[in-house]
Order: sequence, then structure tokens, then C-alpha cells
Amino acid sequence: MASLAALKDFLYGLTGYEFARHALETRRELETLFIAATLGDLVGVPVMPPIFSLRLLPYVVPEIAKWKREMARNKELWEREELDLHGI
Amino acid sequence: MNALIAVIIGAAVVYLAYTRYARRIDRNVIQSDPRRATPAVLYMDGVDFMPTNRNILFGYHFKSIAAAGPIVGAIVAASLWGWLPAFIWLVVGVSFMGWASDYSAIVLSVRNDGNSLSAVAHRLISPRTRTILFLFIFFYLLLIAGAFVGIMAQTLDAQPRTHLGMILLVLMGLLLGQMLYRWRVGLLPATIVAVGITFLAILAGPLTEGFFQGFNGFFNSLTGGAPIVTYFDPTLAGFKGAEAEIMPSLLFWAVAISVFCYAGSVLPIWRMAQPVVYVGFWITATAMLLGLAGASLGTLIKPEVAAFQIPAFKGWNPQLGPAGVMPLWPMLFVTIACGAISGWHSLFGSVGTARQIESESDMLPIGAGAMFAEFLLGLLALLAVTVGAKGGSPVATFASGLGGFISVFGLRGEYAESLAFAAFIVIVLVVTQLIFRIMRVTLTEWLGELVPPLRNQHVASFISVVLAILLVMTGTWIYLWQLFGGANQLMAALSLLLVTIWLASQGKNWAFAGVPTLFMYFTTVGSILVTAYNLYYNVYVPNAAAGRAVPAIGSALMIIVALLLVAAALLIGVDGARAFLKYSRRTGRAAEAAPARG
Repeated sequence: MASLAALKDFLYGLTGYEFARHALETRRELETLFIAATLGDLVGVPVMPPIFSLRLLPYVVPEIAKWKREMARNKELWEREELDLHGI
Repeated sequence: MNALIAVIIGAAVVYLAYTRYARRIDRNVIQSDPRRATPAVLYMDGVDFMPTNRNILFGYHFKSIAAAGPIVGAIVAASLWGWLPAFIWLVVGVSFMGWASDYSAIVLSVRNDGNSLSAVAHRLISPRTRTILFLFIFFYLLLIAGAFVGIMAQTLDAQPRTHLGMILLVLMGLLLGQMLYRWRVGLLPATIVAVGITFLAILAGPLTEGFFQGFNGFFNSLTGGAPIVTYFDPTLAGFKGAEAEIMPSLLFWAVAISVFCYAGSVLPIWRMAQPVVYVGFWITATAMLLGLAGASLGTLIKPEVAAFQIPAFKGWNPQLGPAGVMPLWPMLFVTIACGAISGWHSLFGSVGTARQIESESDMLPIGAGAMFAEFLLGLLALLAVTVGAKGGSPVATFASGLGGFISVFGLRGEYAESLAFAAFIVIVLVVTQLIFRIMRVTLTEWLGELVPPLRNQHVASFISVVLAILLVMTGTWIYLWQLFGGANQLMAALSLLLVTIWLASQGKNWAFAGVPTLFMYFTTVGSILVTAYNLYYNVYVPNAAAGRAVPAIGSALMIIVALLLVAAALLIGVDGARAFLKYSRRTGRAAEAAPARG
């Protein structure tokens, strides 16, 4: 049974995993946009009136730590363009 | 010797190398510790840094590193030197260098907070190493784009039976993207529809051969059967060299492939590139699995398809063209790249896989295990071209051999061969569209500040496509391939150099990475110089003397690229040696000082 489960995981890694990753990446991009729209005025970009930002703040707070890490990290170009799709 | 014996030897070597050597390095030198937190655990963000089950990650990593490289390299090498040198290099390369390169790149990243190779190079060697890496990557991509477009255009032009399958592959890729991301169809039914129709189209290829022959004929009639470009190709006439022609139909296929790649480069990834890669994966995986099983069973069931047809050894320095040299060292070691060792794997492993490693004990089975699995792919390609009875181009021989293996399962010869041709074209095609995508981004990143129009994705994609087509028009894809191999292996040498320096800085035994570094470094620099020599005397001189501008300019461009690569390698080598000496002396002094303190 353990071997069957391992085989199933392996096949998932070969096939569906990249779609799941892409969906996660897309969601993160939307979240980043959402945070930028919500907290823009804190960094001098008045995207949205502060009253709406304050109302949305509870939804943004749980994501701030991840967002900060994501924004602060120095990214290489080959991790921004889906190189994980296939090798050479 | 037959296919079954080769498979058994290959499997035995892989087993011994993994259990007797790789595990020992993992245990005694790297000292992987499952209790130490990995970057995936420490910095989990749910996307890039994400602890992932080792079996899933193995499948993902294997798919990400296994592509056309091990196939094309083995085909060319067996044609030039015979199957035995290619077999020995595959086995020795993967056992002592390939796994070490892939595994150690992952280790380096995991032990350095998930940083990529260039970030570690910036810190350990010098800031300019990072810039040089850009140069490497752009030319590396340009060379492989030229080589792949050239191979595909020639194969499509010569094999009308493959056209229907390729057209349907692209259409089904587009449909799959639409089904998955817009219509929200489940992955399984969408796969059945898209992959099923593509398979049917590929198998129906021989039935549509006549129609597409007429299609090619129509294009050739536009110039009254006259070629567009005539050039001297040293790879023709049994590698003695002969006049060759680029006909309108070949140019049509080169342009069609470029348009497809252009679309793959500028459209959203989900719309085209990703689903086409996915459909292509199933086609190739099916053909390769059937091929590997057929190679093993064929010896017992159908011996005629598993008997070796080409000589074991063709010579130390086969003649390629009137003035060319092709010495086994260093050329074999760059001609076969990915099945033995590849720099691309290290680059990808350090950013894609390393950040998803759940436990340090997973680094070896994923990094080294996937490389050993790719070696089997290279071995299958070598076996296919070795048993392929059909003369003609190396690709046709490969398809003939692989088709023979597949026919063991009862599929009629012509259909099995059609599937083999399709598998080859698909694996090259899906990679090429991604190459153009990455080239576009690299060009923008590299020169976008200096030349603002390059920030436009259409301008950057168009320039990439035009450069690649210019290289195709030189007609000598073997040289392109070898230059690419040189750049790729040089990247592997750079990755191993980084690992060596890091091991020295940690006071660990660096020999398992240091010895392959030296071998790969001198081999690849030598091979690039030999290729530049060949390009000058075999392509530039005869074509320039005959006043043929396109191949002369194309070959001159390739020579410039070769010299730039050598200059970059020398800079990295000097900086790397300095860094290594600095860290070795420091750890040496620390070791001497330690007893005194104690």
C-alpha cells in the first residue's frame, strides 16, 4: 500500500502538481495586488481612501508577514519566469 | 551486446553508484540531518517555500530536468564516435559527476537559506560572477534555440507524417488551457480529451502523409524548385561535407515553429505554454516507457529490433567536413550533456526544488535519484539510435530504433515509428517555446535599461526569434548543439565550483565536487575552442569564399558567441580559484589554531 501511495504521489508530481503550483502563484499575485491596493496609502501611494483600507485591514493582516518576506526577497529572473515547467 | 544487456549494466551501475558512493557522500561529507529545519519549513510562504512530500517532489523535479537534452546528445554522439564511448561517458558521467552536480546544487541552496546559485556566487566568489551568469544564460538559450529550431524544421520538412500530430498538439494544448482555467473542467477528463485526440492524430500520421507532401511541394513550387539559400554543410555525405540547400518548405516550417514559439513567449503561461507542455509530456512519456520496456523485452521476444546496428567505436577523431576536427576529448563530453551531467539541472534545482525540500534526508533521493532516472532516458535514446537500422539523418535512425522497440507491443512498424518521431519532435518543441519565453525575459533584464524598446515583450521576442532563425540558416545544427553543450556543461562546472568553494569554506572534504569541477572546466573550455575552430574552417571560410552571406554571418556570430563564453569562463575560473584559496587558507588556519585553543 505504501508503494502504491508513493507511486500515486510520484504521478501527481509529474502531472497535476505544476497546475496546483501555478494556481497558488496566481492567487499570490492577486493577494499582492490586494495588499498594494489596501495599504498603498501607508507607503505614499493613495490608491484607496483610508476608510476602506481600514475596513479591509483585518483581511490583510494575516498575509502581511508572508507578503513582506515575498517583497523583500531578492528574486532572480529564472525564478520569475516559469522555468519549473520543463528542463532542457 | 544487445539492448537488454545494456539496460542491465546501466541499472546495475546506477544502483551501485547510488548506494555505494552517493549515500556515503550524503552521510559522511554533507552530513544531512533530518532534524535540521530546511528553508521550506523556516520560510514557508505557501508558494515558493513550501515543504513538499518527497515522492511528489521527485516526480516534479524529474519532469523539470528531463527533456530533449539526453536524447539529442546521445543521437549525435553515437553517430560521431560509435555507441561505446557514448555509453561509457553516460555511465561514468552520471556516476561520478552528474548526480554530484544536481544533488550538491540543492544542498548548497538548502544550507544557504534557499538562495539561488547566483546569489551564493555573489557572496562567495565575486559580484561580477552574477553578471557573467546572465551572459551565459542568454547565449546558452540562443544556441539551444537555434539548434532545436533547426532540428525540428529539418525533421518536419522531411517527415510529412508528423505534421497532423504536431498541429493537433498545439490545438489541444490551447483547448486544455481553456478547459482547465476557464471552463473549470477536471484535470482527468480534460487530459483524456486533449491527450487522446493528440494520440489519435499522431497515429493517423501515416494516413495523411500524401496530403502534407503536397503541402511541402506547394511551397517549393513557389520558387520553381530553386533553393532559398545554398550553403556548405560539413555534416553531410557521411560527415565529409557537401553542398546543401534550404528549400522554401524548410523555411516555412522554421517560421511556423518560430510563430508557435513567439505565441508561447508572449501569451499568458496558462493559455499556451503550460498546457502544451502537459499534453507533450504524456506523448513523450508513453513513447519512452514503451521504448524502455520494449528495449528490455525485445531481446527475448523480437531479437531483430534489439540487435546493435552501428559500430561500437568509430575512431578517436572522426572527420567532420574537410578541415574539421572532432576529438573524442573534449567533444564527446559536451555532445552528451544532460544524460551525464547538466548545468541546467543545478540552476533549476537551486531555486525550484531546494525551496520545497521538506527534510534534509530528501535531498539525496530527489537530487541524485532524478539524475539517475534521467540517465536511463539518455540510455534509451542511445539504444534507440544504436539499433535503428534506417540510414539517413541521426533523428531518423533514432525514430527507427525507438519505433522498433515500441513495435514489440504489437503496434505496426509505420505507426510505431510515427509515434517515435512525434515523441522526439514534441519533446523538442515544448522546450523550445519555453526557451524563447526565457530568452525574451533575459534580454529585457540584461539590456532593457540601456535599450528601452527591449522592455516591450514583442520586440524582445521578435529579436530572439530572428537571431535563432539566422543561426538555423547556417544549416549546421551539430555545431550549435556542441556550443550549447559547452555552455551547459560550463554552467555545471560553475555550479560544482561554487559547491567546492562552499565545502572548503565549511572545512569539509571538497573532493567529490572539486575533481569533477576541474575535469568539466577544462573539457568545456577546450570544446568551445575546438567548435570555434571548426566553425571558422568548415563553415565560415567555404561559405565566405563562395560569397554566401547568410551562413557566413551566422557562423561568424556563433564564433563570437564561443569566444565570449570562453572569456566569461576564464573570468569565473580566476575569481573562483582566488575564492577557493582564500577559504582553504582560512579553514586551514582555523584547524591549526583549534588545538592550541583547546
